[in-house]
Order: sequence, then C-alpha cells, then structure tokens
Amino acid sequence: MLVQQLLNALTLGAIYALIALGYTLVYGILAMINFAHSEVLMLGAFAAWALAGWAPAALGSGLWGAAGLLAAGMLGAGLVNVLIERLAYRRLRRAPRLAPLISAIGVSIVLQNAVFLWVSTQSLAFPQPAGTSAVSFLGASINGLQLAILGAALGLMILLHLFIARTRMGRAMRACADDLEAAKLMGVNADFVIAVTFFVGGALGGAAGVLYGMNYGSIKYNMGFLPGIKAFTAAVLGGIGSVRGAVLGGFLLGFLEVLAAGYIPNGAQWRDVVAFAALILVLLARPSGLLGERAAQKV
Amino acid sequence: MSFSRSRAFFFAAVALSACGPKEKVVKIAVAVPLTGDMGTEGQGIRRAVELAVEQANAAKRFPYKLAAAPYDDRADPKEAVNVANLIASDRQVVAVIGPYNSGCAIPAGKVYARAPVAMISPTATNPEVTVQQLSKDWIGPRVVFRVAPTDDVQSAYAAEYIFRRLGKRRMAVLHDKTPYGQGLAEQFQKAFGALGGRILSVDGISVGDKDFKALLTRIKADSGRPEGLYFGGLYAEAGLLLKQMRELGLDDPFVFVSGDGAKTPTLFDVSGDAADGAYFSIFGVPVEELPGAGRFVADYKARWGAQSLKPFDHFGYEAAQIIFDALERSGPDRERVLAQLRQTRHQGVLGLTVFDEKGDTLNKIVSMTRARAKDRSFQMVR
Repeated sequence: MLVQQLLNALTLGAIYALIALGYTLVYGILAMINFAHSEVLMLGAFAAWALAGWAPAALGSGLWGAAGLLAAGMLGAGLVNVLIERLAYRRLRRAPRLAPLISAIGVSIVLQNAVFLWVSTQSLAFPQPAGTSAVSFLGASINGLQLAILGAALGLMILLHLFIARTRMGRAMRACADDLEAAKLMGVNADFVIAVTFFVGGALGGAAGVLYGMNYGSIKYNMGFLPGIKAFTAAVLGGIGSVRGAVLGGFLLGFLEVLAAGYIPNGAQWRDVVAFAALILVLLARPSGLLGERAAQKV
Repeated sequence: MSFSRSRAFFFAAVALSACGPKEKVVKIAVAVPLTGDMGTEGQGIRRAVELAVEQANAAKRFPYKLAAAPYDDRADPKEAVNVANLIASDRQVVAVIGPYNSGCAIPAGKVYARAPVAMISPTATNPEVTVQQLSKDWIGPRVVFRVAPTDDVQSAYAAEYIFRRLGKRRMAVLHDKTPYGQGLAEQFQKAFGALGGRILSVDGISVGDKDFKALLTRIKADSGRPEGLYFGGLYAEAGLLLKQMRELGLDDPFVFVSGDGAKTPTLFDVSGDAADGAYFSIFGVPVEELPGAGRFVADYKARWGAQSLKPFDHFGYEAAQIIFDALERSGPDRERVLAQLRQTRHQGVLGLTVFDEKGDTLNKIVSMTRARAKDRSFQMVR
C-alpha cells in the first residue's frame, strides 16, 4: 500500500507543481496573482481535446499521440496567457494593486462562461493514451499512464530549470524579477520578457490541464477551479515567486492530501481540512513560505 | 456565472405573454437542471413534460391553453430557491414539476409551501424531501409530492441484492455528502447491517473531486478484505471511482454498486469501459419493461428523436399526467389543484399512483441493473 500511495502522491503533486509554477513565474516578475491561471489550464485541456476530435487518426492512441496532445495544450494555453496579459493586464501594470487582481478575476469568469456557453456545459470524455493497464510491482499496481504523467511533469520542470538558468532569455527573466526598472535601464525589452514569461507559465498550466484530463479521462468548463486554487496554495506554501518553492509546495500538498485520505480512518472528507490546516501552520511559522525570500515586499 | 439562464427564460416568458393573444394560459413550471452535469437528465424531463402538454393541448383536454415553463436550477440548491421564488410569484403557474435533486427539493419545497403551490418531484429520493413537511416548523400547507420511491426502499433492495444474490458479506461505503448520496449510503449501511453483513469503512468525498486513488488504495488494503464498494452519489464521481478502481486492480469479483443517480449513459463518457459490470439500483423498472409505457416511448421518440429518451423521462411525464388529472377536477387554481392532488388515484405509465399522507407514492418498485459498456446500456438483472 505504501508504494501505491507514494505513486498516487507523486502524480497528484507533479500536476499541482506544474500549475503552481505558472502562478509563481508571473508573480516573480509582476508581483501579481494571475487568477485566470485556472482557466488557462482548462483552455489548454480544451485545445488538446479539440485537436483530438479534429484529427484523431493522425494522432494515434500511443505515447506519440499523447505527446501531440500535450504540445497542443501547451501551445494553446501559452498563447491564451500571452493574450490575456496583453489585453487585460499590461495597461494596469502601474495601476493600484487591486486593479490587475480584479481584472484577473474578471478574465477568469469570462473565460469559464465562454466555454460553458459555447463549448459544453457537461463533462467531456478526454482521450487517454493506450497502455493504461495496471502492472503489479512491489504490491502496488503501477499504471503506465501514471508513470507517463509523472515523467512528463518532471521533464517539463527540468526543461524550465535549464531555460531559466542557462539561456539568455532566462537571464533576462531573472533580471526582470530582480528589478524590472533596472532591467529596462540595462536595455532589456521588458514587455517582451513579460510576454515570454506568460507564455511559459501558460504552457506549463496547459500541460497540467492535459495531464489532468488524461489522468481522470474527462474535462469540464470548471475543471480548472479546484486544482487552480490548490496549486495557488502550493505556490504560497513553497514561497510564491520561488520556482523551487512551487515544485516543493506542489509535491508537499500532494503528499498531505494522500496522507489524509489514505491513512486517516474516515479521512477522505478531511483531506482538504488537513491540507489547508498545514498551510496555515507553515505560513504562521514562515510568512513568506518555505523557500520564499525574506525581503518579500516588492514595490 | 453572472447571468442566469432561467432568468432569461423568465423575462422572455413575461415578454411573450404581454404581447401574445388574449387566450387564457395556464402554466406548469418545470424546475430541473437544464445545464451542467445533470443537464442531460433535466432536459429529458423537460421534453417529457412538453410532450404531455402538447398532447393535452392537441386533444383540447382543457378549455384554456396549457404551457410548460422550464426553469434551470443547475442542480444547485441556492439556484433552486431563486427559481422557486420566481415560479411562486408567477400567478399563471398552477403546479411545479421538479426539482430533480434531493438537495434542491428540500429547500425549494419550503418556498413552494409558503406560496402555496403544489410540487411533484419526479426523481428526488431522500426521505427528508417529504418528511420535512411533518415538522412543526413547517410554514404553509403540505405541498410536496413525489412519484419516485425513497432511498430507504432503494438501499434496502440494493443491500438485499448484494447480500443474497451476490453473496457478499463485507462492503466498503462511500458517499458524496449530499442529501441524496449520504441518505442512500446511510440507509444502505442500516439495511446491510440488519441482514448480518459487515460495513468495513464509510467515507465521504466532495462533489467535483477528481482523485480518489489514495482512498481506494486504502480500501483495497483494508484488513477486513472488502468484497465490494457501495457508492451513494452521482455519475461524474461514480465514473471516476470506477475508472480509478480498475486502475488500482480492484476488478471482478470486487463489485461496485450504486444508485439511480449514477445510472445514466453519460457515465460511460467519464468511466469508459471501466463501468462494465457495475450494479445500479433504480426506482421503478427500466421504461422498456413497463407494460403501460409503450405508447409513451413511441410518442416521445416520434416527437424528440430516437436517441433523446433519458432514464427519468417517464417519471416527468407521469407527474404531468397526475397534475392534468387534478386540473380536470379542480380548474386552474393553485389551492384547489393542491387539494385534488391529495386525492390522486392515477393509473399511468408507472402503474397505479396513490400518495400517502406525506406525499410519497405508494408505488414502490425498485430493481437492479448492470452496466454494459459495449452499447452504453444498463441491463435489468433479477
């Protein structure tokens, strides 16, 4: 049972971590919470779903098909996120803090209702790659899908790390996160860097949406809300603005939820209580999160 | 979700009635979920009631024009109360068919009692829906009726089926913490225990949860070795549970048993083939097995297409016929319709319907069906 629960926690945590990265990247640069991120993840899943409905034969049902869906979801969600930034946030960059926050909530409601009214009000079946049969290993039934999800999520996290640490654009992003004005004075094209950040954050969210859809086999217009709010929590838990913190927070939340549901008798209904109580305790001890910077307040 | 569709319907209805011909119109409100996960079933009930209304108008059964007025409660108790207030304030409405969910029917019933206007739920099965009317805090007359038998009847049948026919002695129980799901689960525990079976664990999940693997892993590892899972809840969670059960290797002979709320073809959209072989108790019998329903099924398919028939449509149709009977005897007046509904003796698609003093039907047939994934159907088993 332990091996199985570990795997459950890792899969769940990996998805939370991917979404949390989207929150934390945007916060790192603009110090704003992109509350539309949960809809970006939903739209990523719907983009992949649309592609699967449009070209089912070209995709096939194996791992390559799944990779195609993942790419479509990432591209769709990344572009949507860039568009949201351009239309709803850019003009508000110097406005009081509440304005972009409310704008983000507005975008979230608009997108959710657009899908609700134009696409479907109900759960839609999402294609799952073949090979989901369970294989027994150390008393756990490992299923190929769970492993693939975990692998894809970890791969994306490593790519993100390399992108931020090793590339020119990554360095520009770090510079903007350190001090946007100073970076501009050094000749960094801040608008472009911010757009790239939104694209990368959105693409990770879209990937999470596709993996979420594959894991549970169905998607719905409001599917982003719950994982979105939990991943936001994970980002805060790890220290919002910190990339490693988002990953740590995501896995931690996954483990807490699985522990509560899996080991406390009658614990399933207490799952969210346990997870969020832990969040409160962590924040009381470390207000800027586990790996957050001490000098948190950005101006 | 800022603008409510039901309100749009309402304004449209007001606008139409203001400029339409002067002919007298009497409305029967249909308050069910028309969108959202339960929308498929709600739309089916709406179509059934509209069919009944069209037939009555075509046969000139009444000296005035009947109209069905659909309202969308989104299976949300708060929205159900909003909708109930709208309906109660429309004086043309003489009776209400709905709500679909027990969670909606309990608070909406209180609103209808104050109006007062009679309400017949086609599908709400939690005992509390009608029992609440006996409380001394109840304001207004008893207005709630239903044509579906209650959860205690359904769960007792499921418990007996699992214990005697399937020979299972140890079960795990899950529910979705709604009045419907929890009610079903609690009644099941009682009945299964009374037969001598053991309930190894009881857990609640939340509507909208997606991940049950941790919980199912624990159930699988339970030292009491459960032989099956009973779930009180709706199809979205049931489908995910089935899928994740199979992924964890909880296969035959481990059984999955649930109630009528999960038994809909949409289940297969969520579960895929994982639902194959799962058991679902239902109230009544499948419409194909009802001797009195052949005419209804033929008319419905002719009016709305062969694929459009949903599992509870004949209950909506029957509720409409019962209201017509009362209307014929009383004339279009809310309170007289209510008084006549209490005297109901209606022989229709469900058989004979007579209401007891709470408003519950005395026609308590329950049966068991088994999911078949290859044609997305549910076969009746004995």
